[in-house]
Amino acid sequence: MKNVKNVKSINYYQIDYNVNKIFEREGAVILSSPEAYKKLRWTRDYFKQEPKEGYFIWVKKSIGYPLITRITISSPKVIQKPENLVVIEKNVEVKIQSICNASKKNLEGKHIGCSKIILRENSVLKMKHFHSWGKRDWVESSLEFFLGKGAKLSYAYKCLEIPMKLKTENNTYLKENSSSNLIITILAKDGEVDMRDSTFLNGRESNGISRLRMIGNKRSKIVARSQIVANDAGIGHVDCMGLLLSENSSIQAIPELINRNKDASLTHEASVGKISEEALNYLRSRGLTEDEAIDLIVNGFLGEEEPIIIKGRIVPSKLYM
Amino acid sequence: MLKIENLSVRVGGKDILRKINLEIKKAEIHALLGPNASGKSTLVYTMMGFPDYQIMEGEIDFKGKNIESLSIEERAKLGIALAFQHPPIIKGIKLSKLLEKISKQVINIKKFPIKSDLLSREINVGFSGGERKLSEIIQIISLNPSFVIFDELDSGLDVEMLEKLAIIIKDKLLNNDVSILLITHRGNILHFLKPDFAHVIINGELICSSKDWKDMWETIRKYGYEKCKECKEHKLLSD
Repeated sequence: MKNVKNVKSINYYQIDYNVNKIFEREGAVILSSPEAYKKLRWTRDYFKQEPKEGYFIWVKKSIGYPLITRITISSPKVIQKPENLVVIEKNVEVKIQSICNASKKNLEGKHIGCSKIILRENSVLKMKHFHSWGKRDWVESSLEFFLGKGAKLSYAYKCLEIPMKLKTENNTYLKENSSSNLIITILAKDGEVDMRDSTFLNGRESNGISRLRMIGNKRSKIVARSQIVANDAGIGHVDCMGLLLSENSSIQAIPELINRNKDASLTHEASVGKISEEALNYLRSRGLTEDEAIDLIVNGFLGEEEPIIIKGRIVPSKLYM
Repeated sequence: MLKIENLSVRVGGKDILRKINLEIKKAEIHALLGPNASGKSTLVYTMMGFPDYQIMEGEIDFKGKNIESLSIEERAKLGIALAFQHPPIIKGIKLSKLLEKISKQVINIKKFPIKSDLLSREINVGFSGGERKLSEIIQIISLNPSFVIFDELDSGLDVEMLEKLAIIIKDKLLNNDVSILLITHRGNILHFLKPDFAHVIINGELICSSKDWKDMWETIRKYGYEKCKECKEHKLLSD
C-alpha cells in the first residue's frame, strides 16, 4: 500500500461486456481474455473455451504496487460472463486488487465469473477481491488457484453488499512446500449465499488455511462448505465463524476434513452464534449505545477496513463501493 | 455523589440483595468487602444498569438524579465507570480503536507501564492479568468519570503490579476528586488506597460499615467473614 506514487489507474476495466480501459505495467502483460486467447496460443490450455470477456494478466517481473482490475455492471439486465486468467511466473511477487460490482443497486444483472490463477514455482501472490452488488443481481463466481512448488498465496475476499443470490466456489491446489491463506468475509442482508471452498494439499509440506467469516442479517441465508483434502503430507486448517444478527436469518457452516495421508495434519473449528450479551454490556458501559456497540463488534468481525487504490489515491473500500 | 437507599435486587427469580444502603460522597474511597457469592458483583451490575438485575425496591441516585430507569450507556455518560474483574475478549477490535471511540479526554499512553504493542492488540485477546487491568484503567481514565467501581482490581495481580496501578489511580483519579468503590476480598489494595470507609456484605446484606478499615480487615483476615456476623463492635453508620 505504501508505493502508490506511480499508480495512475486501474489496469483492467470492463463495463458491462466491453473493455473500457487496459493500462499495462512494466513486468506484466495485460490483455482482454479474448485477445490473449487469439495472440498467445499457450493460454488456450487454461481456458475451457474461447472466452468472450474478462482479463488476462501475465506477470513476468515482481511489481511493488498492486495491479487493479475492475469488472462492473452498469446497465440493466446485463449478463456478464468474464473468464479471467492470471499467470505469475517463477520467483515473481505481485499484489492484485480485483473489484467486481454493480454501479447501481437496481440493475437486475447477472455476473457469472470464472477465474484461473496460476502461481509458478516460488511465486507470491497477495490478492484482495471485493464484491458489491444490488439487491436484484445474481452472482456466481468460481476461482481456481494452482500453486507450484514453494508458491505462496494470500487471498482475501470480501462482500459486504450481497446480491439476491451469491454463489461462490473456490478450489486451491497446492504442490510441495506451497502455502495458501484464504479469508472470505461475507455480510449477508436480504439474500442467499452459497459458498464452497476446497483446498487440496497435493504435495509434501504444503500448507493450507481457509477462514470464513459470515454475518447473517435481515432475512438472509448462508450455507458455507469449507473443505480441506490432504492427498499428501501437508497441514491444513479450516475455520468457519458465523455471527447471526437477526431472528429471520440462518447460517449453516460445514467444515470438512478429508485426510488420505497418515502424515498429514488437518484441523478445523467452527462456531455460529449471536453477539455475546457480555461484550455488548461491556461496550455499553463505555458509553456506546447498543447500536454503536453492535457496529463496532460487526466491523471487528469483518476485519480491518481494506483500502483500495484508484487513480493514485487510497480509497476505503466501503466508500468506493 | 452516589446514594443507594433500601435497595433489594432479584436475579433470575432469586433474591440476591436485601435493603442495601450506601452513600458515597465526592472524592471518597469506599471498599466493599465480602466472601464469594455475597452479592458484591450483583450490586456492581445493578449500579451499572445491566439487564437481568431486577430492582424490587429501593433507589439509586447519582449526582442527585434517580438513575434506575437509565440504560447502561446513559449511566456511563453521567460519569459512572466500571473496571471489570473479568473483561470479555472482543475479537477484531484493537484497544486503540475502542479508545478512539470512547475517549472523552486525551490519554498520554507513555505514562502507563504497558508494552508498546498493547494498543494495537485486540481487546483482551492474549492479555496477561496485569495487561487486562491496565487496559481497564486506561479505558476508565479516558472516560473522564466522576465515580469509578473497581471490581476485584487486585485479583490475579502481584503486589508490585498492584502498587503501580494504585499509583495511577491516585494520580489520575483521586487527584481529580473522583469517587471510588473498591470491590475486593483481599487486603492489599486497601493498604495502597486507604479507603475512607469499608463495608462488609454477606448473603446480600450490608452488615457492617466502618471508617476503621484496618481494624475491619484485620478481623476478617484473622477470623474470616463469619466473625463479621457475630461482631458487635462495628455497626452500620446509619444506625
